[in-house]
Amino acid sequence: MFYGLLILIFAVFIVRLFYVQVIKHEDYKQAALSGQLKQYSIPAERGIIEAYSGNSVVPIVLNEEVYTLFADPVYVADKKAVAEQLSKITGDKAKDYLAKMSKDTRYAVLAKKLDNKKKTAIEKLKFKGVGLRTESIRAYPQGDLAAQLLGFVNDGGQGTYGIEQFMDSQLAGTPGELKAITDIRGVPLVASKDNVLKDPVNGQKIRLTIEIGMQKKVEELLKEHLPTVNSKSGSAIVLDPNNGAIKAIANYPSYNPSRYFDVKDAALFTNPAVSSPLEVGSIMKTLTVATGLNSGAIKVNQTFYDPAQFTVDGYTIHDVAEDGGAQTRSISDILKFSLNSGATWIMMQLGGGQINEKARKLDYDYLTNHYFFGQKTGVEQGYEAPGVVPDPSEGFGLNIKYANMAFGQGLTVTPLQMAAAFAATINGGTYYQPHLVDDGKGAASKIKKQNIISPKISAQLRSLHENSVNTHYTSLIHPGYKIGGKTGTAQIAGSNGKYRTDVFNGTFIGYIGGDKPAYVIMIRINEPHVSYFAGAAAAAPLFKKISDMLIDNFSIPRAD
Amino acid sequence: MFKKRPSRRNFPTKSRRQGNISSDDSAAFRRHRPDYWLLIITFFLMLMGIVVVYSISPGLAAAQGISEHYYVTKQLIALALGLAGFVFFSNLPIAAVKRMTKSLIWLSVLMIGAVQIFGQEANGAYRWVQVGGFSFQVAELVKFALVIWLAGFLVERLNRGEMESTKKTLYPLIIAVMLIGILIAGLESDLGSAGVMIAIIAVMGFSAGLPLKKIGIIVGIITLLATLAIMSTPYRRDRLTTFLNPTADCQAEGYQSCQALIAVGSGGVFGLGLANGVQEYGYLPEAANDSIFAILGEKFGFVGTTIVIGLYGVLFARMRRIIQRTPDLFSRLAVIGIVAWLSVQAVINIGAMIGVLPLKGITLPLVSYGGTSLVFILAAIGLVFQISRYTSYSTLRNVSLKDKEGGTSESSPRRRGQRRPYYAASGNR
Repeated sequence: MFYGLLILIFAVFIVRLFYVQVIKHEDYKQAALSGQLKQYSIPAERGIIEAYSGNSVVPIVLNEEVYTLFADPVYVADKKAVAEQLSKITGDKAKDYLAKMSKDTRYAVLAKKLDNKKKTAIEKLKFKGVGLRTESIRAYPQGDLAAQLLGFVNDGGQGTYGIEQFMDSQLAGTPGELKAITDIRGVPLVASKDNVLKDPVNGQKIRLTIEIGMQKKVEELLKEHLPTVNSKSGSAIVLDPNNGAIKAIANYPSYNPSRYFDVKDAALFTNPAVSSPLEVGSIMKTLTVATGLNSGAIKVNQTFYDPAQFTVDGYTIHDVAEDGGAQTRSISDILKFSLNSGATWIMMQLGGGQINEKARKLDYDYLTNHYFFGQKTGVEQGYEAPGVVPDPSEGFGLNIKYANMAFGQGLTVTPLQMAAAFAATINGGTYYQPHLVDDGKGAASKIKKQNIISPKISAQLRSLHENSVNTHYTSLIHPGYKIGGKTGTAQIAGSNGKYRTDVFNGTFIGYIGGDKPAYVIMIRINEPHVSYFAGAAAAAPLFKKISDMLIDNFSIPRAD
Repeated sequence: MFKKRPSRRNFPTKSRRQGNISSDDSAAFRRHRPDYWLLIITFFLMLMGIVVVYSISPGLAAAQGISEHYYVTKQLIALALGLAGFVFFSNLPIAAVKRMTKSLIWLSVLMIGAVQIFGQEANGAYRWVQVGGFSFQVAELVKFALVIWLAGFLVERLNRGEMESTKKTLYPLIIAVMLIGILIAGLESDLGSAGVMIAIIAVMGFSAGLPLKKIGIIVGIITLLATLAIMSTPYRRDRLTTFLNPTADCQAEGYQSCQALIAVGSGGVFGLGLANGVQEYGYLPEAANDSIFAILGEKFGFVGTTIVIGLYGVLFARMRRIIQRTPDLFSRLAVIGIVAWLSVQAVINIGAMIGVLPLKGITLPLVSYGGTSLVFILAAIGLVFQISRYTSYSTLRNVSLKDKEGGTSESSPRRRGQRRPYYAASGNR
């Protein structure tokens, strides 16, 4: 009877086995695969970033292997001894390690970002249940140089801010794929037909147009200059007007990209030179004059009676007292003495004698289609801001608004937009795409628009700007070189919608060169506290320091 | 060993003489060729076990950071010890085996005590002691001791005609069941082994003619103990819940059951092949011991699992044949006990792996990795192997057994209408 029962049970077992192994085989096979088949992404190596240093190219952002120390407490036999030995190498507290390993976990991270030396020392101990995971992080051989321009790579491996963000897809490459049957811990078992392997495509190397020595020097000069004019922040750009290549962008304050996680104020991460538009003030007159000349509304040798004030839409625009009141003025005087009334007069000429829709539309066309304001330049930076150019035909008080725009109030542009547009007006009329990435394709490939003004007008503008320096901003003169420029003391809109009367932003736009301009320099000093106009007292001296530095250290053809 | 050879030659004569003490007529059965089928089947079951353990050894070792050959080496050492046990018990005279009873019981008690004092903890229970690099599972020794003791005990009751005596037969058995309940199911928390032991008592008692009413009492006590045991320990409650619906919670309590079924099911008809199993790589817990049948199913498929079950079927059939032809009552009951032991273990283990029985944490006889189990099972089969030398040429009739062996004392209970001893052997009546 017992044996009969046994045979019956065995028979039932075989029937059940037939059901499980033969009839339901596919279901169980799928169930097995769903647990055993795992998909992995093989990280691609992120492209490095390099920049010019004289004639050579040196890395500015590299990858560095660091190691995360972890423990599987289940396999750590003597936790106390292990904690003590490990902490001796890493310099952490043994107590902390012990606490981490005492938690109910199979993966206790003990230390992060250990270097190769510590890793080797830990490996030599051969502790059971202790492991090191390799991680690739960004390393900055140049320290915190150009931090805001570069951006950083966050913990998730994603480029944020600056070049890292804009060029993320090129830098990141394409991760490889590994599909494999693994053991329960995810270690792939020997080759199986279900395995798939796709090699990662490493990220591209990126070469910047930045000249490292120049960048370093401009950053230093800016940092040293700001306290002398009682300002807390500012930016400086050096741009090659002949191809749009940005040679240096300095901002202050900045941060250390290798310790980005220590930064408390996220505003520090952005590059103000491209992401913080402002009302630039009088430096805009350089473009107003360019618009007037190129449109034929004014002639370069023309003189006109300047009443020193105009009433537009019921508002009165007047010049500062230092300018000397009503008198007959030349076009050159408008730039030299920074006449608001003169700029307004040009705007009136655009409309055939008064500011009207024709004048506004013409000005708007120049601002947006010749100088490319109100839109991103497309420079390889994260969070670039487009700035705002008011619409010429919709809204209230448009005439006074456009009169104000003639001398740089009421529209916002970034320092880079200003530098790129100014460069186009003095380089013969070609708007080059301002860029930070040197793709080796040459200047021709960077042309965004030719003849935004005619070469003839461009030449006239250069002589106007150089005349201003030679006869008015004489402190900027550097014998043997042609230097042109314009100051700006920009009013700052207060929170009540009115302009503040206590502080201004100081700006300066200018160039240095020989027969043709070699560098355009744009300066922005935020809220300096100086006894004279911010543009002349706070921004122009930094232009001088930078231009001297360029002349001393870089080959600029002499004019004579 | 070589020095002892001459004395070993004397064993047969000696054993024959001493064997006669308990059963007069067995003298008629001369020592003859043993049942070599036992050897062949045992060999093949062990071979399958060792092959599977060999193939999963690297996977297990990798997960634990130990030598790749750790498991296979230990299993081979256990095999050598087991073979020694086999040779010993296939030659030790039956009378000597009987005389070992007391020592075995004392050893069992001693070891149970030792486990509680020096034992290794696992799953909140103490089940083994470390003996020179090997873990000694006490329950395996107790199973062996139980079979030997119970065979002797029942033969004595039969000879004295006290089978139906509550005081002389039932009470000792109840005490045995209680002890198993307290020591094995309770202290060692080893419900699987306790179940196997109680099955051994039930089958042997029933075969020896223990009145059904009395078996009922034992079963009642067992049910009570089992209910208490299951309710008192959380992980057992989990296992019971899992049993009622094995795949309900594959992430927690049902994990092992689910993974076992996945292993078995993914094997298909012919299996993935010896080297292609995946479940042993940490997915299926206890891959080498309790779950080895599932691994076998994954690697060798339906064909492999059917062969294993077939091998057990043939093994138990050969043992049944020996039971039917063994005139010596003690020997016969011992084989019955061994069949009960091995078959219940095989059924519980395989049943758990294919999702029809709850997980009990017991080994698959001869196949599972696990030294102690293998040593005592081989010793037990050694004993059966010896007994197979003293069988009759044809199946013994009940009548002859009763009248000839139990005759003197057993005739009276029969006259009083008591149930006759029922042997598994005589199932074909």
